[in-house]
Amino acid sequence: MDQELRNSPPAPLAPVAFDISKPFETALDNGLRVVIVESKRLPIVSFRLSFHSGDIDDPQGNIGLTSAMTNLMTEGTDNYTSLQLAEKVERLGASLSANSSYDFTTVAASSLSFYASSMLDMMAEITLRPTFPENEVDLYRRNTVEHLKFQRSQPPFLAAEQAARAIYGDHPYARVSPTPADIEKITTAALKKFRQQRLIPNNAIFMVVGDVDRDEILGQIKERFGDWETGSKPEPVNVELPSANGSRCIVVDRSGSAQSNIVIANRATARLTADYFPILVMNQVLGAGASSRVFMNLREEKGYTYGAYTRLDLKRLAGDFEATAEVRNDVTGESLKEFFYELERIRTDLVGDEELADAKNFLTGVFPIRAETQEGLTNLLLNQKLYGLDEDYLQAYRSNVNAVTAEQVLDAAKKYVRPDEASIIIVGDAEAVVPAAAEYAPSVEIYDTEGSMRTDN
Amino acid sequence: MSETFKLSPFEIEEFTLANGLRVVLNPDNEIPVVSLAVYYNVGSRNERDDRTGFAHLFEHMMFQGSANVPKAGHFQYIMKAGGTMNGTTSSERTNYFETLPASQLPLALWLESDRMRSLAVTQENLDNQREAVKEEKRLRYDNQPYGQIFDLINEMIYKNFANSHSTIGSMEHLDAASVEDVQDFFRVYYAPNNAVLSLSGAFDIDEAKRLIEFYFGDISSQPLPSELDVSEPDEVALTFREWEDPLAPFPAFLIGWKIPKRRSHEFNALYLAGKILYDGDSSRLYQKLVKGDESVIQLFGFTDERRGPSSIFIGAIPKPEEDLSAIRETIMNEISDLATHGPTPSEMEKIENQLVNDAVRMRQSSMSRAQQLAEYALYDGDPKLINTDLDELLAISAEQIRMAVAHFLNTENRSLLSVVPAGQG
Repeated sequence: MDQELRNSPPAPLAPVAFDISKPFETALDNGLRVVIVESKRLPIVSFRLSFHSGDIDDPQGNIGLTSAMTNLMTEGTDNYTSLQLAEKVERLGASLSANSSYDFTTVAASSLSFYASSMLDMMAEITLRPTFPENEVDLYRRNTVEHLKFQRSQPPFLAAEQAARAIYGDHPYARVSPTPADIEKITTAALKKFRQQRLIPNNAIFMVVGDVDRDEILGQIKERFGDWETGSKPEPVNVELPSANGSRCIVVDRSGSAQSNIVIANRATARLTADYFPILVMNQVLGAGASSRVFMNLREEKGYTYGAYTRLDLKRLAGDFEATAEVRNDVTGESLKEFFYELERIRTDLVGDEELADAKNFLTGVFPIRAETQEGLTNLLLNQKLYGLDEDYLQAYRSNVNAVTAEQVLDAAKKYVRPDEASIIIVGDAEAVVPAAAEYAPSVEIYDTEGSMRTDN
Repeated sequence: MSETFKLSPFEIEEFTLANGLRVVLNPDNEIPVVSLAVYYNVGSRNERDDRTGFAHLFEHMMFQGSANVPKAGHFQYIMKAGGTMNGTTSSERTNYFETLPASQLPLALWLESDRMRSLAVTQENLDNQREAVKEEKRLRYDNQPYGQIFDLINEMIYKNFANSHSTIGSMEHLDAASVEDVQDFFRVYYAPNNAVLSLSGAFDIDEAKRLIEFYFGDISSQPLPSELDVSEPDEVALTFREWEDPLAPFPAFLIGWKIPKRRSHEFNALYLAGKILYDGDSSRLYQKLVKGDESVIQLFGFTDERRGPSSIFIGAIPKPEEDLSAIRETIMNEISDLATHGPTPSEMEKIENQLVNDAVRMRQSSMSRAQQLAEYALYDGDPKLINTDLDELLAISAEQIRMAVAHFLNTENRSLLSVVPAGQG
């Protein structure tokens, strides 16, 4: 009888509720929004100070300034040299960093909670009083130029560079990294001025999650950031996105490659879209995970690749759909064929009830797993605030997923998965892959690993 | 650091089923998720010399179906229940793990027990996964600049084949693997008495015990494989090798030392010495080479912990015009300084806070807890070490660090791999 019971999957136990409580939110007089979540579970704390400006807001003629600024904020301030700063933070066993994405700039810190006030000191130091010393800026320039060369040895970078260009044209989203010439232009003076203009309280959110007392931590934030002067927000980026320009095929010739890195990409939509939940479910069916269609097809059935996936990268102003896999050279053509088969199928056939339910169950089930660690919870909350999602976004997330219908999935696929407009990017040995690629586009453009079009063909 | 700070001990219950399966339970109801980890006492160190890569290929086969679970059904059952899962293979062990909503505990146990009881192997599935593994090898090793250097240096450090050969294996050996090989490997190594099951997260202890007995209790045990000899002489197999890397854009080097096994005082001391030498922007070598001399683009280091002889690595990608031997001399000088004067009080304070911080953060995730418990149970026979491992590391003194560095980070047990770019430009 035991044996029989073990022949099929067991029923689940009673479900256990999971809720994320809404955070406390207030604002300082200078406009700095402060969001606090008290969590006494473990003696740790996470801080984020995030700004609604990012790499796409780099000034004309000073591309790369935002990322240079974030990299150099920890390299010297009014009261600490680069070394003193690193020693102070690491001696507390803590972490402190600044980074930028296309849309946002974030100063992040985390530590044991009994060092919270020291970490707030250090966050204030690098945000309000960085000095961008000449020698550190010089070292940054030289190291970054070498790093840019290094990136060109890596297929994922080469594929991302071409995909972004194909999708975003002249828009700043087309830049996956600055050029060496951009880097040469970065100076101490430019960084100081830019820091003052961009890191302003009235364009920022200060988030605290962890073992803190709300009033006490709010008081400490006020002490350090209350006198911070307001400024004017950056002008919104005003560059036309290119209209869909038909299918292109771009091969980046990386001779001696053992694999082809394939990216099939088209423009999709911005993060704040009414279609968000249908898109999420659609992508789960199509390619987000190891039980999705493209993985089951290209890996589990065909053995062409270690992993095949699709993703939707929805940014503040625009977004893109990408299907990706790294395959052995001699199945490049077959892999394209299977990808296009799946991209067409999701656009033409209604997804079945079971497959739809499976995708939703995954998305709702992993939600508490994503919130299990403090960093995970912090990131969920920060994204909600940065994108200006609904107040009950995290609370309603699972019911919104569950409300998605098969018709909405089909509709989302038709709108955002566009094989007719997609560009195919292949990084690999051109000799090996061009013949296969040529079957999928009227012409094949060949680039070198420096990002330039080859003129000899 | 607060003198009064003390982490509360984990609640742990351990027992062994009649068939020899060791079970560790760690209830923690904070978040309604549960993580299950199954660790098998088999890794690449157990491989035959004509079947390198087999333990890892076998790991893939564990997702290809069993008596009641179809091919790839494992992924699908877990994902449609809202869970995440994976498996990994190292020299030491092969592990399988999943995190699920707490209500799905029976599903996780059913899936793990079905494949422990009745793995189904077909030629077609083996051929398919062989191809997936070859693509994994190309992706992670063959098509990556510097992708092969860690496998190469292990062949230089270790003399014993069990330790020296790579986990990903060779294409020829992967091609040679047969269905019979898979069946034999399953019978010998995937027996309940050669495994540990650990569970951490939101569950009821009595219910978990009942379910584990129900799903795993009547899986047959097997004669245990014979003890493996992983012993090594002190000296390395090869002290120098030059490697032409067709994909590397710059010259680089990797230094590796053979050191004592994990959890020995010496290993722990060297793990902490590593933190002082290469962890973080305030570390000695970062300050000397990336700052100071400004000669290096990228600096890295880590320890590879094994139950037998282990290793510690320091590597650098220097700027193109730099003299590599001068950089290595700087590294060796800094090591000599640490061997002579030992860590500073401020370095010891840094280590202490970092260890406490890491220990607290590890506790957040049910998966981290389940894995750590399984590892201690499998390697040391004592999952409760999770309650004392922090104290074990904090007890290492500055003088012990100095002595371990002086004794082990010298040139006799050191291998140097020099990477030369050999691309067509």
